[in-house]
Amino acid sequence: MSFPHLHVASAYSTHYGVTMPEALAEQTKAQDGTFLAVTDRDGLYGAVKHVRACVDAGVRPGLGADLAVHDDDDHLSLGRVVVLAHGNTNGRGYAALCRAVSAAHRTVSQGFGSLPSIARSELAGLAGLRSLTVLLGPASDVGTATGHRDNEDARARLTAWLRAMPADSVSLEVVCHLSEPGTPGSVTPATRMLALAEHAGVPAVLTNAVRYGTPEEAVTADLADAARTLTPLAELEQPQTNGQAWLKPVRAMRQVARMVVDAGLHDAGALDLLFRDTERLADRCALDPEADIGLGRPRMPEARIIGVSGDPVAELWKRARAGIDDLYPRPEAGARRGAASAEDAHARLAHEMKTVEHLGFAGYFLTVARVADIIREMGIRIQARGSGVGSVLNYALRTSSVEPLSNGLLWERFLSPERQTLPDIDIDVESARRHDIYRKLFDAFGGDRVSLMSMTNAYRGRGAVRDAGLALGMNHEQVASIAKQMWRFNARDFRRALEEKPELEPLAAEVRESQQLDQLVDLTAKLDRLPRHISVHPCGVILSDATLLDRTPVQASGMGLPMSQFDKHDMDPMGLIKLDILGVRMQSAMAHAVEEHHRLSGESLDLDRIPLDDPATFELIRSTRTLGIFQIESPGQMELVGKLQPEVFNDLTVEISLFRPGPMQNNMPLKYLQARHGEVMPDYLHPRLEPILRETKGVVIFHEQVMRLFDELTGCGLGRADVFRRHLGKPDQLPRIEEYVREMAGERGFPPAVIDQVWTVLAGFGSFGFAKAHGAAFALPTYQSAWLKTHHPAVFLAGLLTHAPGMWPKDLIVAEARLLGVPVLGLDVQRSTLDYRVEELGDERRGIRLALPELAGGTAAERARIVRHQPFSSLQDFRDRVRPRRKTFEALARVGALDSFIGYDRARRHELLAHVQSLRGTAVTINDDQLAFEVELPVQGFEGARFDAVTSLELRGRSQTDLELRDLHLAVSGHQMTRFYPLFAELGVTPASELADLPGGTEVLIAGVRRATNTPPMRNGRRVVFVSLDDGTGPVSNVVFFHDAQERIGGPVFQTRHILVRGRTRRSGAKGVSITGENLWDLTDVARKVDQRRKAEAAARHTDRTMELAAELAAIPVDNVHHLWPLRA
Amino acid sequence: MPQIIDAQVDVELSADGDPQAFIWNRFEHTIIGQPQAVFTRTRWWENDGVPLRIDTELWRVDASRGDEEQHRYDLRRDVDGSWVLALDWG
Repeated sequence: MSFPHLHVASAYSTHYGVTMPEALAEQTKAQDGTFLAVTDRDGLYGAVKHVRACVDAGVRPGLGADLAVHDDDDHLSLGRVVVLAHGNTNGRGYAALCRAVSAAHRTVSQGFGSLPSIARSELAGLAGLRSLTVLLGPASDVGTATGHRDNEDARARLTAWLRAMPADSVSLEVVCHLSEPGTPGSVTPATRMLALAEHAGVPAVLTNAVRYGTPEEAVTADLADAARTLTPLAELEQPQTNGQAWLKPVRAMRQVARMVVDAGLHDAGALDLLFRDTERLADRCALDPEADIGLGRPRMPEARIIGVSGDPVAELWKRARAGIDDLYPRPEAGARRGAASAEDAHARLAHEMKTVEHLGFAGYFLTVARVADIIREMGIRIQARGSGVGSVLNYALRTSSVEPLSNGLLWERFLSPERQTLPDIDIDVESARRHDIYRKLFDAFGGDRVSLMSMTNAYRGRGAVRDAGLALGMNHEQVASIAKQMWRFNARDFRRALEEKPELEPLAAEVRESQQLDQLVDLTAKLDRLPRHISVHPCGVILSDATLLDRTPVQASGMGLPMSQFDKHDMDPMGLIKLDILGVRMQSAMAHAVEEHHRLSGESLDLDRIPLDDPATFELIRSTRTLGIFQIESPGQMELVGKLQPEVFNDLTVEISLFRPGPMQNNMPLKYLQARHGEVMPDYLHPRLEPILRETKGVVIFHEQVMRLFDELTGCGLGRADVFRRHLGKPDQLPRIEEYVREMAGERGFPPAVIDQVWTVLAGFGSFGFAKAHGAAFALPTYQSAWLKTHHPAVFLAGLLTHAPGMWPKDLIVAEARLLGVPVLGLDVQRSTLDYRVEELGDERRGIRLALPELAGGTAAERARIVRHQPFSSLQDFRDRVRPRRKTFEALARVGALDSFIGYDRARRHELLAHVQSLRGTAVTINDDQLAFEVELPVQGFEGARFDAVTSLELRGRSQTDLELRDLHLAVSGHQMTRFYPLFAELGVTPASELADLPGGTEVLIAGVRRATNTPPMRNGRRVVFVSLDDGTGPVSNVVFFHDAQERIGGPVFQTRHILVRGRTRRSGAKGVSITGENLWDLTDVARKVDQRRKAEAAARHTDRTMELAAELAAIPVDNVHHLWPLRA
Repeated sequence: MPQIIDAQVDVELSADGDPQAFIWNRFEHTIIGQPQAVFTRTRWWENDGVPLRIDTELWRVDASRGDEEQHRYDLRRDVDGSWVLALDWG
């Protein structure tokens, strides 16, 4: 005997339910239950997890949604009802439920209210053909009337429902939480509801309107109420009447039912009837996971949608073969060294197609290829990433642009009969065009086949402590200050963290003193990990056939397009194809570069066809001038590139794969570098393993190598090898794998000592490392961006400045441009546009024109008007057409963007500024088709001698650089450190550009503006601070502060902006050099003191002060350092 | 006026889990009819610590000792399962 719960909110009813579906299913099983429905509020957010948990627990799943309903005519609320899907309907019930939920959310996107609600007529339409049952419970209009003891109204409302809905689709829901008489949830309204059912001849069912599994979780539901209504517990208007909304076992439910029946006058046998009708409805609502929900059955878009008329398998073969013939060299053409031949490719294709046919995934590959084609047809750069890059099929279909064979990539890392999940291909696109692509895909495939994917955001420490604090009504500042300390441990371990972590001791002391803080700790732990809200996933797009909206409910995402209520964990079980279409800024930057080059020269650069062995490109990379290059521009990467000295494309793949937390912590870079540079003999363990380990000099870096090792040792095949590889990260699986490896490798002739050695490597590898396919896919844009920087620096830098893909500030990119001999041209209202454009300068040089958005404080509307009306014939014309706000107008004048109106005579800018400041009244509005009034401005008409009477003091004593930094936050005309150069010469500061030529251990003073601060994790656990300084002479110089230096210097290591450092050079590889910092000063401070000393000396007075300053400055000894700073002529 | 008793009692439960009798002052009190349970919530945040339950379980029963006149009582079941005779309504 068990009780079937029909109305249950899981934790995916955010800020309402508090128990995860898995726990609810487990509990049902433990209570000998055989049925459990989850009916989340406003959606099926927890549906897939619920169904899977039920399958695991051997419980029949039911699904429904707790939805608001409104009247069609007047949009008046009819309260909330539970809509349950009927099973054994071939999916009809589940489909109707999905569509009902989507319909409820459509009211929001159509602007009929802020909360999802479905029209009763629409619900009635969907409930036809015995698809749905609607439960009218205490929250429905009928329930509300019953609660008010208004029997007549309740009957009328029930009649309205029965008239509107199809026959046999309405039941009344009896809920009793045994709360105090006179409050909601007491026996009285429940018994009246039962009487109403008897009177109207409508079946009544018993539910417990469940919000949590166990009574102990009622506290968490209190918190959820506070968080949902943003109200402290003490002020809640409708707190839970008590803690009885839990998943009660049958005995407790019968007890409740007896009390309900006993409290009123009911027909004989009412109790049994209530239970029988509840059972009956549960039977009706039990869903078959496969037949009703379609669990585990992949559905691809229909063939015609992806442009296929015949058999998809035949079509796939045809396209793949054609692709190979097109992309691989013909046998007679004489392939380049190392390049794969068409013959190899055809052989691999046959191997891959066997798996594809076996798994029935032909439609999947054609779909992804179609998407790639659509994106490419839009003229958008595309780059596949992830394990899919290991497939010749994907390469031949042009889904991926990395050739897998010559890069040693494996198909089995991507797909094999041993992998039970749908394949996953990630596509990187230009970030600026991502939304365009989504819209295009909705157009191309149709809105009934495409949806964006959602993601569930769960509570983490900070959010949990904030909402717990809110519930307790604590003051905001106190909670915020605690929230700041909530990191580096799980909120559910809050109490233990307080006991163990020394940095939390002050908080722990407060907690011991305060009852409220003590509660806060426990409540925070209760909220941790609970789902909080859903939002659109940053890159997931779901593609399916026309039944998509029968299988997932959708709601509007922030960008307006429909978003599935299912997240990435639900995709594979639901057989939904998910494509990760990720916006990558570097792709936008490169596209901008190619476009600008085409605009200027008419030449089209095809980055996917450039030779991958360009010597100049590799020379640039080896020089470590990698600023702006994809993946290898960080200080750490610069250092590794300097040590590694890449020569071929594969070296880039290796470099990128080594620079990962796992390999770094396992000291793999050092081992590899030593072997690469001949400092140690590579250890290939066994001659039969050498071909696998040769490319990385004996160091296991790639997943593909681990798979090959397994295969060579045991002969298990690459597909199973990948299964082993994935299990390496699971300690409980290791003994089983080890036993198998030892046995098989022994049989296959490997000596025990070798097996020991290899097993140590494999077990130590764990889940670390990187798919080589992934590394190679990253290496391609790395190479492409390096190639652009080498051969087309101006357009490349314009791309970087427009799309800001990297880690460095724009001011540093501008400094880099200056060093590369690419002039950066100032802001000019005649020429600047919304992005960075390149201008031909006549002398074969190209300059980059600053973009309008750089002006701090300008508005988008002003910028749009400037671009629309360019060029301007006069200042008056500019003012009339652009109508700039005074602040913008003056800033433009200050930085020189209006210099065209004074003949680019900078000396007259103060007159211009004074004039702009003196302007009164509003600008005259000029229609687009009308010429501006040609009113001569004083400054325009003035020629000859200076007009000294009108001047602005704002420019006095300020250099152009000062003005640019103020209004643009960018120093365009010169480097911001230039003003310190005389000081550098005097002190003996070594320019960054000269550092590379100094031997290791040289004592130097270096200086510059701080560009980046990094504290990478170190093997020994001690913090190391990397500071990147830019003095304007060359690449950034990277200063390392070890623990002792950090202690000596203190806060300024992180805070000082303009820095002078004393330290020693540290060589790393042929080109790499960094500085070990010993001490640090604030440059502005030093400059002031030097200046004071000079003044004091000149006056030959104040001897004491001179001595004092001299003593202070003596702390910066300048005797031993190299004087390399060029003295200005 | 109800009389506050506040005494621990032993309660005998029926097969369905309802209280059917309790022993108070060595005398058995037999419960008559369907007893009603009421769960009353607490304002737990005003007290120390975070409780296991947010409500108190009270059973309102009509019971009589032997042939004596029946009284109405409030029985409270605590989280640890023990029963307390809270009130005698007379």
